[in-house]
Amino acid sequence: MTGVLVFSLASAEGLPRSGLELVAAAERLRDKLGDGTVQVVLLGPDAESYGETLIHHGADEVFVASSPELRSYKTELILAVLETATRRISPGVILFAADAVGGEIAPRLAYRLGAGLVTDCVGFEVDAESGHIRWLRPVYGGKAMAFIVARGPVQIATFRQRAFEPLPEDFSCRGKVQALEVELEPVTDRVSFVEEVREEIEGISLDEAEIVISGGRGIGGPEGFSELETLAQILEGAVGSSRPPADSGWVPHARLIGQTGKILSPNLYIAIGISGAPQHMAGISSAKTIVAINKDEDAPIFKVAHLGVVGNWRQVVPALIRACRELEGD
Amino acid sequence: MHIVVCLKQIIDPEIAPSEFQIDPVRKEQIRGKHALVISTFDEHALEVAVQVKEKTSGKITALTIAGEEGVRTLRDALALGADEAILLSDPTFVDSDSFGKARILAAALRKLSEFDAVLCGRQAGDIELGVTGPFLAEELGLPCIALVANIEPDGDKVRLRRPVENGYEILEVPLPFLATITNDESNVPRLPTVRAIRAAVRKSVPVWTAEEIGIEMIEARPEAAKIELQELFIPKREVRCEFIEGESDQEKGESLALRLRELKLI
Repeated sequence: MTGVLVFSLASAEGLPRSGLELVAAAERLRDKLGDGTVQVVLLGPDAESYGETLIHHGADEVFVASSPELRSYKTELILAVLETATRRISPGVILFAADAVGGEIAPRLAYRLGAGLVTDCVGFEVDAESGHIRWLRPVYGGKAMAFIVARGPVQIATFRQRAFEPLPEDFSCRGKVQALEVELEPVTDRVSFVEEVREEIEGISLDEAEIVISGGRGIGGPEGFSELETLAQILEGAVGSSRPPADSGWVPHARLIGQTGKILSPNLYIAIGISGAPQHMAGISSAKTIVAINKDEDAPIFKVAHLGVVGNWRQVVPALIRACRELEGD
Repeated sequence: MHIVVCLKQIIDPEIAPSEFQIDPVRKEQIRGKHALVISTFDEHALEVAVQVKEKTSGKITALTIAGEEGVRTLRDALALGADEAILLSDPTFVDSDSFGKARILAAALRKLSEFDAVLCGRQAGDIELGVTGPFLAEELGLPCIALVANIEPDGDKVRLRRPVENGYEILEVPLPFLATITNDESNVPRLPTVRAIRAAVRKSVPVWTAEEIGIEMIEARPEAAKIELQELFIPKREVRCEFIEGESDQEKGESLALRLRELKLI
């Protein structure tokens, strides 16, 4: 075991939180293996300016390649850089975020390196006898979990968002930040960028929200979701939905949480008028606390919820909003 | 445009959790009486292919690696708009991992020789690894675009729309390419017409064996696999719901806020 290498891609918006989460995962893995260094390859515009931040969050060594060319759709370029870097650094384990970039780059890198790859992990354990890493991931839409062992000269895992919390920033941490000397020239990316359209979304994005307030069929229509928005604003959370509201066009599809939508791990998940179909539950199986508000006391959501309110959300939620306003005003 | 869609046949994922059972020794789901269907995201991939065909004309070929029962899934694909379907079936294919599956699909695609696009679902609806598509792109040396919602044909290239945080981006790639398809409001699978189902039954579904596509599956040996599923289990959710009581729904709402504050959750 030489090292645990984290891959992260910075964007114009900065260093993604997932990069810090992966460093925390790498730290934990190193502790369990009892050996190794935590290394990071950070690519993207202004990558070098985030090197120290990664060190302060637990990385021992950071390799940066800073170029405006290194954007998320430039996968062939990123892949070429990463392949070169990996061969040079020769880590034992490589960690990616299970996002659009990691979801494509990790398999292609695994293919090129002949590495064993486990995607979408939420945790791991190290087998005391064999010393093998057992990667834990949900399968069958969250209805089951699997421990998977990877083989090969190097093993690769991708991690779901928020599977690990970033380590607290410690300015006394020391480490080495160095430029990754790579040639970007010879790689021609066959994929080119045409345009990007971003909807202005007020407040916090679903992926980053600590608190998610979600509505289901029971909300009854698009109007009800404005009530949820109000609650989200007060709690500094984001609004999501189960499948019926997204399919009925009450909310944009981007709000959909579940096996075929977003998979989240918020600290607090408030499910309102959601029965708790397995396809939806797959999206929140790693939420820390689940609160359910539903008028049907037999709704399956109460089997997984930590706190429950049996009642009509049209009465419960306005009262909840009023009380939260008062509490937040304290 | 000739589009090849790679489909996986899985046990109906929409069954109730109470009917979901696993075999902890074989480490897989027990099929029981449940139907075999086209994997969730692969159905969306097929829908995207049909939409492209409607815009440009052309042909859709559906491929699946399965035993004899794969013919049924391919007939479903034919009913949904595929023009041809080929079953890749061989005793040596049975235990192949994702690397092996990519090799089998690549060999079949080489035998097809001309194609402009290969579409795969973003991940299997059962084991959900999401690697066969990118592996296949590597096998064939094709550009790979992951998590695409829909495709706009434009001569010898295509424009792909893919959702990103709070919006979408449009990318362009020359033919041929491989894309993995994610579900989106624009690619909800259509339902087959009765006529299409009848027509699908009459179509012949050729079976290609390892010999016919010219490969020898040495990877299928378990010791050669890059990953090993060691343990499969149904997690016990030991949650006891604490119900918030109150005289009225309003009171329950207020008590909930106080309880959340007590627990330092808000």
